[in-house]
Amino acid sequence: MDDRRQRFDALVMPHLDAAYRFARWLSRSPDDADDVVQEAFLRAFRGFDSLRGSNVRAWLLTIVRNCHLTALKQQQRRGFVPLPEEHDADDGEAMIATTPAPESTSLRRDEERTLERFLSALREEHREVLVLRELEEMDYREIAAVTNVPIGTVMSRLARARAALKAGWLKEADGEPHAVR
Amino acid sequence: MRCAESLRVQAYFDGELEAFSATKSERHSERCAECRALLRELGQVRSALRLDLTFASAPPALRARILGALDGESAIESPRRVSRLKSWRPQPFWKGAMSGIAGSAVAAGIAFFVMAPSFTNPVLDDLVGAHVRSLMPDHLIDVVSTDKHTVKPWFAGHTDVSPVVSDFDLQGYRLIGGRADYFEHQRAAVVVYQHGAHVVNVFSWAGDQHGLPRNTTRNGYHLAFWKVDNLMYCAVSDTAWDELLGLVRLLQELGARDLHPRLRPAALD
Repeated sequence: MDDRRQRFDALVMPHLDAAYRFARWLSRSPDDADDVVQEAFLRAFRGFDSLRGSNVRAWLLTIVRNCHLTALKQQQRRGFVPLPEEHDADDGEAMIATTPAPESTSLRRDEERTLERFLSALREEHREVLVLRELEEMDYREIAAVTNVPIGTVMSRLARARAALKAGWLKEADGEPHAVR
Repeated sequence: MRCAESLRVQAYFDGELEAFSATKSERHSERCAECRALLRELGQVRSALRLDLTFASAPPALRARILGALDGESAIESPRRVSRLKSWRPQPFWKGAMSGIAGSAVAAGIAFFVMAPSFTNPVLDDLVGAHVRSLMPDHLIDVVSTDKHTVKPWFAGHTDVSPVVSDFDLQGYRLIGGRADYFEHQRAAVVVYQHGAHVVNVFSWAGDQHGLPRNTTRNGYHLAFWKVDNLMYCAVSDTAWDELLGLVRLLQELGARDLHPRLRPAALD
């Protein structure tokens, strides 16, 4: 294995899970996410020499997002537009880790499914900033770089995303104290 | 209609304000009921997302497929040749349009990520290396437990140091276990925490005369250092800085209490 490939494996491969999680929240289906992630890693490998600085994860997620947008455009051009926000049992299940924590109960699982549904129902531009902030725990500057918008836009999208999620999800959870922490 | 300060309050919540603005924002929230409510809501949404969603990791089959595709790619002399791609995916339906767009995105991306130049410090490389290795399957934990009374005695038999261990589940940092790593010529103790989707490794080893490395970021991982007596600590993760420092604060307070039980943690820094 050559030196460039070794460096790539050491620097970029550890972020595979982050890339996959992000792609799963962007894509309509697990298969699409797989394709997007694989394409992103190939693009990243080809562009690896131009990577400067240490923020490999933000760099990789930028590429994941671009691959997702390109795939989406291709699908639309072919007239294949997936049904919006359709959730069958398999789809929801696939987002959940294969090895749940032992204390997981069906109650907890129900909450996950509900929350997941509301998160998926957000507009993409809102969902992506929320996922990057809360799940990937990126700061505003990183999110702005990944989503290619100014920091001010990140802030307003984040505010709308949180308000929308809260309006939908916490309303449904009303009267169920376990869901509100 | 939101209070005009709401975006600043959100930035405060996200740890994005420097000290002066943060204080101003705190004072505002004390007076403004709307912004107090906002802070509460932001906290609710955050804990819901981080506690109630579990996180998928990439399926092993996908990892294998990507490594295979990279092997194919490495073998090509000219990195731009596209024909080889046919072998890894039956219907690469976007491959043509991809090259231009993604290429320019990569170019645009790099301008943004020019950060502080990394300096050479073998300790930092070792720590990042150990952190990355720990994320590979079955390398993370030697002793699986959410109970500090199990993890701490385990260290006594397997490492040369005795670090502070506690479960901070309520604060969002769940103790998931411990590990022994060979590091700096000794058997270092690693306490492993789970924070949302992220793993935090807290390394500890007996310090020497070298000073404490400064907090830094390498390969997308943040490294926060501190020292209690002659015990060196380093927390490593790809969480946001304020999230990582939140755990560091909790551990520092705990360490200070262990060391000087009669002093309040605030008196030591």
